[in-house]
Amino acid sequence: MPESTASGIEYTKVAEIKGPLMVIDGITKASFDELVEIETAEGERRLGKVLEVGFGKAVVQVFEGTTGLTVSGTKAKFLGKTMEMPVSQELLGRVFDGLGRPNDGLPEPIADKFLDVNGEPMNPERREYPTSFIQTGVSVIDGMLTLVRGQKLPIFSGSGMPHNILAAQIARQASVVGTKEDFAVVFAAIGVQYSEAQYFKRSLEESGALRRSVLFLNLADDPAIERIITPRVALTVAEYLAFDLGMHVLAILTDMTNYAEALREISAAREEVPGRKGYPGYLYTDLANNYERAGRIKGKNGSVTQVPILSMPADDITHPIPDLTGYITEGQIVLGRDLFRKGIYPPVNVLSSLSRLMKDGVGEGKTRADHPEVGNQMYDLYSRAQEVRALAEIVGRAGLTGTDLKYLDAGDMFENHFLKQAADENRNLDETLARAWEVLSTLPEAELTKIKEKYIKAYYKGSK
Amino acid sequence: MSSNSALERTINKVLSQKETELISQIDSAFQESLKNLEASRGKLDAERARIIESAKKQAENLKRQIVGSSRLSARNKELVMIETDVNEAFERAKAWLASSSKDESYRALLAKVVEEAIPSVGSDDVIVECNKNDTEQVKKIVADLSKKNPKLKARVSDQPINAIGGVRVKSADGTMSFDNTLDSRIERLKPLIRKNIARMLRGEAGEE
Repeated sequence: MPESTASGIEYTKVAEIKGPLMVIDGITKASFDELVEIETAEGERRLGKVLEVGFGKAVVQVFEGTTGLTVSGTKAKFLGKTMEMPVSQELLGRVFDGLGRPNDGLPEPIADKFLDVNGEPMNPERREYPTSFIQTGVSVIDGMLTLVRGQKLPIFSGSGMPHNILAAQIARQASVVGTKEDFAVVFAAIGVQYSEAQYFKRSLEESGALRRSVLFLNLADDPAIERIITPRVALTVAEYLAFDLGMHVLAILTDMTNYAEALREISAAREEVPGRKGYPGYLYTDLANNYERAGRIKGKNGSVTQVPILSMPADDITHPIPDLTGYITEGQIVLGRDLFRKGIYPPVNVLSSLSRLMKDGVGEGKTRADHPEVGNQMYDLYSRAQEVRALAEIVGRAGLTGTDLKYLDAGDMFENHFLKQAADENRNLDETLARAWEVLSTLPEAELTKIKEKYIKAYYKGSK
Repeated sequence: MSSNSALERTINKVLSQKETELISQIDSAFQESLKNLEASRGKLDAERARIIESAKKQAENLKRQIVGSSRLSARNKELVMIETDVNEAFERAKAWLASSSKDESYRALLAKVVEEAIPSVGSDDVIVECNKNDTEQVKKIVADLSKKNPKLKARVSDQPINAIGGVRVKSADGTMSFDNTLDSRIERLKPLIRKNIARMLRGEAGEE
């Protein structure tokens, strides 16, 4: 709902401007999280929200930054409501900025509802366990790290690696197989470069996936503080599409590291006691507030599945952002620098990756009966191949046994035939499993210890 | 001569053997060619089927893409048209409000907005601003309110504001203000009114 007619008191007594924050004096009525409209001396309008209230003062976080704001001449109108996003089905096919304002030259969508961007907490008792498969068309994800409807599965990447290409590929190709239910993608780009934003937009437009997508683009040159809001508006739209319209929504948030950096900036400006690496002590809670906005609700058709993407500073998986993210989410897909250097796309390091909910979303009646066992065997194969590679570094190929050599070749085939795939190549699950069996068939049958005999008989093409 | 006939026989035998051998080789080569041809035909058929299948998929994707983007484009055009009409409706409504006669119901509305605005500022010492046409009426309303509340120190500004109606109330020190003009109220309720106009334009029932 828009603010009531009784709200909208405007204050002109700005006491202080500090980083992204503005302290306003003489406040008689203000609430925590209340939306504030700031008008500069030149008449330019910006948005902010109340972070603290008390002793006649209010600390306001200005989303579009405080550059150009002056203590005198700046007005702050308290709107008597929290930040809201107008939502309707018409959001599909639209492009917005990081604060949820149209960015495609079209007018505001006609809203059915106005929803608080902070979302409503999901009743834990009403949550439904995720068990249905989402096909991404990417072999390594579908075959070994299966994404399940309602899951939150982050991608841990590093600087310069193709996480954005992978994100766009998932957004283009993701689908719910075997049902007529609607599927939508909500894509939030947080602090990305202009070229990357254009890539996302063009990629969805050209593939025809834009009609079922909603894009939120917060660019690297947009004020960092806007980044705090971008995932929230995106997830608000995702929740509306899922739980009001019954759609299966895949929410891709990239890059959550930029989000955490913005959080650190605000925390520093508020002079809070810093936690690990200067991030605020509440980083875990704040990230959880976003990540937990995924799932399914009993009695409702839709689902929100989250794929947050974060680039690990210096590829350090123990950095607070991936570390805390790992505690909250249900597994992770880790991109490997070595594979990237070898020119393999997507460079997913399967041995560090895991989808915790995969076991409940694959197998007979869900995907294909042999899927879980094939996935396990592929893990085993690649793990052994890596061990043998390390051994070969020391003793040379001549010192390896015949079986070791088979694993060495199987490891290469795993990378080049199963893992490697073009950025525009959409493989269905049957094709993915067929490729997996081709890799497994390079090993002697006796090595396939994790697969039932009946599946080996049906799919194995190698020699005894 | 016998040696000649023996030689001839041997030559004939060799020739005959060679002929048989060659015919057999030609036969087997022919058979092999047939086999190759058959195998190639199978491969060719599979390749043809694969190309056709892939082309069908591409055509299906292209069709979906064209249909999808056309629908999107039509929806966007509709949105632009609705927005133009909505803006026009607002402009007309504002013009009508500005030109309509200030009857009894307007006076009641004005009293209501003044009564609502003064306490919102949270100060008893306030300045009330309004447009030129409403000044006299607002002065009367403010005087009535001052009588009811002796603590209230409200005065009507001599500087008229540019608004179609309603008032703007400021604290005497100028640090706080509350805009309760009709323009501001319309602006605040615009998203809801806009939704109703859009529904009417689309032939759906508007919300009350």
